[in-house]
Amino acid sequence: MNKKNRTRWLFVLPAILLVMALFIYPICSSIFYSFTNKNLIRPVYKFVGFDNYISVLTDKNFWNAFFNSVKWTVFSLVGQLLVGFTAAMALNKVNHGKGIYKTLLIIPWAFPSIVIAFSWQWILNGVYGFLPNILVKLGICDVAPSFLTEKGLVFAVLVFINIWFGAPMIMVNVLAALQTVPQDQYEAAEIDGARSWQSFLYITVPHIKVVTGLLVVLRTVWIFNNFDLIYLITGGGPAGSTQTVPVYAYDMGWGTKLLGKSSAVTVLLFIFLIVICLAYFAIISHWEKEDK
Amino acid sequence: MKKKIAMLLASAMLIGSMLPLCGTSAVMAEENAEELEGDITFWHSFTQGPRLETIQKAADEFMEENPKVNITIETFSWNDFYTKWTTGLASGNVPDMSTALVGQVAEMISADALLPINDLIDDIGRDKFNESALNECAVDGNNYAVPLYSHAMVMWIRKDLLEENGLEVPKTWDELYEAAKALTKDGIYGLSFPCGTTDFQATNFLNFYVKSGGGSLLTDDLKANLTSDLALDGINYWLKVYNDCSPKDSVNYDVLDQATLYYQGKTAFDFNSGFQISGVQANSPDLLEYVDCYPIPTINEGDEQNGITTSNQPMVIWKNSKHPEICREFIKTLYDEDTYVEFLHATPVGMLPAIRGISETDAYRDNEIIQQFEHAESVIADQIPGGTAIGFEHGPSIQAGIMTNQHVIEKMFQDIITNGTDVETAAKAAEDELNALFEVAQ
Repeated sequence: MNKKNRTRWLFVLPAILLVMALFIYPICSSIFYSFTNKNLIRPVYKFVGFDNYISVLTDKNFWNAFFNSVKWTVFSLVGQLLVGFTAAMALNKVNHGKGIYKTLLIIPWAFPSIVIAFSWQWILNGVYGFLPNILVKLGICDVAPSFLTEKGLVFAVLVFINIWFGAPMIMVNVLAALQTVPQDQYEAAEIDGARSWQSFLYITVPHIKVVTGLLVVLRTVWIFNNFDLIYLITGGGPAGSTQTVPVYAYDMGWGTKLLGKSSAVTVLLFIFLIVICLAYFAIISHWEKEDK
Repeated sequence: MKKKIAMLLASAMLIGSMLPLCGTSAVMAEENAEELEGDITFWHSFTQGPRLETIQKAADEFMEENPKVNITIETFSWNDFYTKWTTGLASGNVPDMSTALVGQVAEMISADALLPINDLIDDIGRDKFNESALNECAVDGNNYAVPLYSHAMVMWIRKDLLEENGLEVPKTWDELYEAAKALTKDGIYGLSFPCGTTDFQATNFLNFYVKSGGGSLLTDDLKANLTSDLALDGINYWLKVYNDCSPKDSVNYDVLDQATLYYQGKTAFDFNSGFQISGVQANSPDLLEYVDCYPIPTINEGDEQNGITTSNQPMVIWKNSKHPEICREFIKTLYDEDTYVEFLHATPVGMLPAIRGISETDAYRDNEIIQQFEHAESVIADQIPGGTAIGFEHGPSIQAGIMTNQHVIEKMFQDIITNGTDVETAAKAAEDELNALFEVAQ
């Protein structure tokens, strides 16, 4: 290794060490513990092979949490994309006060999850919540709806809150991408008699699809792994109806203190998300090749 | 020769002159040995303003008297506390001393996380404490916690609502249900039944019913006992209350959600300790005059009921502590009469003295709320000696801790309410789940 190369390595070494400490170590320790019967508060543990994986994969609560996670991710992502995309398209047409609108629309994204969770809990509380009571007063409902405890409602309500929370982030990114589309292409299309939907499909979409694709990858991982919003609002209840895989893993590790089993859940989650990301990246890579 | 004698004399004088210094050094060394020095961290869950302030004041005074001591206080809600200490223990990040819940102390002892504090209790005066309170956190003759204050669960009522509706204070569970049902109207709920899975309120409520009938949620050999006739009756009773007298959101309620309804005058009955008084005072001062408490109902009229759930709030010293001697000395100062009374007055009637001879003092009785709620105080005080922490009727056990901390009973109620699962099936499943957890923990 020549001196120049050594200097390069010296510069990147702190970053490598930091990544090792903050990224590689937790993953490796999770994989390691997933093969043990490690209890959170006991120092002694032993290797149990694949017992934790078998136990998790045969637990009906895990599958309930897994399918809840898939539903939670798909509905939230589609909702956030639709709302975020629509808001970005609308904002792109605004000529005056765009900054103010953008700031106002991004407010939900700027708040900490705990504030959002407690605010929605207060708004939707079945006894003294603002929304259930106003619905009764307006005569829309006879009794105050139990938004956070009715099995048929609570999941949809959580997805709605997540869309409200996440759409601004999509909006800002899509808006930034929209502003990079050359205006002369729209003008040329207009001269050629293209309709607005044709301009959108053949000019706008090709320009922003890579950015949108990357957003979808990031949001998929974030939404799938989302823990705080669900845990703070419903704790995964009632009766597991809003329990997702991260909440299940938390209950397993920090509730029952079965850290080995909880690690097995996180490793399975990790593998699943890697597969999803690889699929997404394959699609994005295909788009990029098409563009070239 | 003269020179030698002179040198000998000089040496003798030098040694002689140094002897008193040696003595002084010995005394100084002894004084230094007694002088406390070091930093300690104290975790507690006294989140309400006045309690927080009095503990901080006690720590400040202790630091003033011991200038080389620094006490860092960190405050957590009771719900967060369990996660905090379990994760802290896993990462070696536990405090020097802390408050705890009795059910959690058994788990802490089992994890070999606490120091025995027999000497501290002896210094304060072992005979001042209620023996059963000390035994709740004792294993093999070692005391691992000292109770700071006591309280007991009682039934809270709204006198005005009962009077307006011509109802008597219920003495049996059936009477309570009928009264609660009658009062569920005009935006008021008779009685909320909380079964959120982030707390152990449903376990608490089921325990009231089962213990009032002379039963227990644990068998004598410390297995879960949810399928006995008494436990099934209890489950059905609370489901009836949920369906007819409780807000539907209570399926996800924790202790604070539950208490807040009573504080705000939204429920006619509730079960809690004397903390209800300060809660009502802070939220709805106009209602304070209508608030009172009575013993928890019994199954049949005239059944004996000497106390169900008592909490003797434990203080513990962690084994990881580098300065247990500072913790001991600081805890001792909390029991100095002036400090102790000031602390108890932070939530009058909510915290009753854990040591004898305080409640009769003029200083303790010189409090408006204690005087106004004399009846409530005597009801709670009567219930304290006969009650135990949940599941501790068989003595301290890790099983009792698991039963309250794992929320299996709460999940069982949610399953019945939300999924319509048959009561016996759900009870059997919960019983099996608890027994499996007991086995893993042993």
